[in-house]
Amino acid sequence: MSANSLEFHLPPARAAIQTPEDRGSHRDAVRLLVSRPSGDSHHRFSELPELLRAGDLLVVNESSTLPASVPGRADFGAFRVSISTAYGPDLWLVEPRWDFDKPGPLPLAPGDRLTLADVPARYISDYPGIPRLGFVHLAGDLRKAMQDLGSPIRYGYLSQGYPLDEYQTVFGRIPGSAEMPSAGRPFTPRVVRHLELAGVAIAPIVLHTGVSSLEPGDAQDGSAPVFPEPFGVPASTVEAIRRTRAQGGRVIAVGTSVVRALESATDGCGLRAARGFTRVYLNPKRPARNLDGLVTGFHEGGSTHLALLAAVAGEERIRRAYQAAIESGYLWHEFGDSHLILLR
Amino acid sequence: MRPLTVPTALVTGASRGLGATIARFLAGEGFELFLTARGGRALEETADALRVFGTEIHTSVGDVTDSRHRTVLRDLVSTAGRLDLLVNNASELGPSPLPPLVRHPLAEFEQVYRTNVVAPLALVQELLPFLEQAGGQIVNISSDAAVGGYPGWGSYGASKAAFDLVSLTLAHELQDRGISVVVVDPGDLRTTMHQAAFPGEDISDRPLPEVTMPFWAWLLHQPRDAVSGRRFRAQSERWEVPA
Repeated sequence: MSANSLEFHLPPARAAIQTPEDRGSHRDAVRLLVSRPSGDSHHRFSELPELLRAGDLLVVNESSTLPASVPGRADFGAFRVSISTAYGPDLWLVEPRWDFDKPGPLPLAPGDRLTLADVPARYISDYPGIPRLGFVHLAGDLRKAMQDLGSPIRYGYLSQGYPLDEYQTVFGRIPGSAEMPSAGRPFTPRVVRHLELAGVAIAPIVLHTGVSSLEPGDAQDGSAPVFPEPFGVPASTVEAIRRTRAQGGRVIAVGTSVVRALESATDGCGLRAARGFTRVYLNPKRPARNLDGLVTGFHEGGSTHLALLAAVAGEERIRRAYQAAIESGYLWHEFGDSHLILLR
Repeated sequence: MRPLTVPTALVTGASRGLGATIARFLAGEGFELFLTARGGRALEETADALRVFGTEIHTSVGDVTDSRHRTVLRDLVSTAGRLDLLVNNASELGPSPLPPLVRHPLAEFEQVYRTNVVAPLALVQELLPFLEQAGGQIVNISSDAAVGGYPGWGSYGASKAAFDLVSLTLAHELQDRGISVVVVDPGDLRTTMHQAAFPGEDISDRPLPEVTMPFWAWLLHQPRDAVSGRRFRAQSERWEVPA
């Protein structure tokens, strides 16, 4: 099965084209579809503490969002660059684009000189099998230059650009994601406090998301259309998960990035602390382990995110939930509504 | 925009395949390169293609099993005075088609060991002062055949298993001297050597050596002591350092 077998009809009006705040609402007032084995129900996100049980554990991504869209320049002119992944201080994987809404590839060859946010750089090579992405060697501090000249990566369905703060979650602590780990966005300090009072624990992982704008045909060699991302699962979180499980609580991932991080820290002997780069690609053939639930957004048909949801809950459950979400007018994408999937 | 100290690397078997891919990545990263291989023309073509990166590229044609050639390499590296990275990539597959061990010509069995175990160790001995000067890293190319026991791969696989243990021992022995030693299994690749292992067969389903580039990008930016003594699979779905 491929990601493409989960196709859903999605009228354009269903995309969230503004933040909930701009829709006259609040971060934690977005709608929350709750999918249990017994069926789907409709809620507000702020009800999450009452929907969970004392002893449950939420695992969250502490990665925060970078102002990863920067101006680029080469001898053929000006363009836009989405910064994806830091391999080292001076080595980055990037996605040069003609513009915000016009993807590459651009005519960049190995050895070419360019600038990213005014930092001189040298193009090393296309990413193998995904020619829209490439490695660049920087002769300066790109992180600092991003702070000065970068803005958040945004997509064509949004009505306007938003400042970086709108792309941060309450859990974000360690800068490194090209795209907001958006499942965490509806969590407000108030929701977090109510969760604590309700006896729901929170434990962190880190996974710095790369650019997510992979398009059909990107993986030309037929391999999984994913590239490695930095991740870390600390021993304290492994211990919290073990304790939760032992006491009958549920382990619930906040975001698909958390599912991938936990799966990447799982080997033949189970979950253990781990740190590195992962390109684990979860899909119904490669189901997720160690999980009892997932908080996530609503994802486009054919995306790797949707394949991951099916890997967590099974294709039938996701199909049923998405049917309910479409019928009830839920909003898709990073500023849209939320989805709590509980397996037990 | 050149850093004060240009990092240097020596890559063996650099004329084509995996060695050429590693060399290209290192040139892109600004390394001054010492490249060696037996085939002079292919080596020059590979080196010429890397000149777009503007780094210094030195070539030396020869066989790493030849001690005189290793001396030439040492003298070449001594001009830089330091060696940040030694990539022992040159390997000998053995007879093609691959013979079962019970019929393996013993002279060729020994030759496989000379190329895959003795020569890279000799290079380490020869280049040690320059590696020590740079607090350098040794990357030894291994194979899944080192652990597989695949029929026909006996000489190559056994030599790589020996090389794995040489590498692990070196990692321990050189720890106090600030030198890191890493073993990398690149996985099946569409290379001349892999074709020789499967003469006449279609190997177009194997990825090109370029597929390993993200791994080199990752490995070469890890703290050197964090990866020393470890064995990585370049095409694995995850690469880890101690948590």
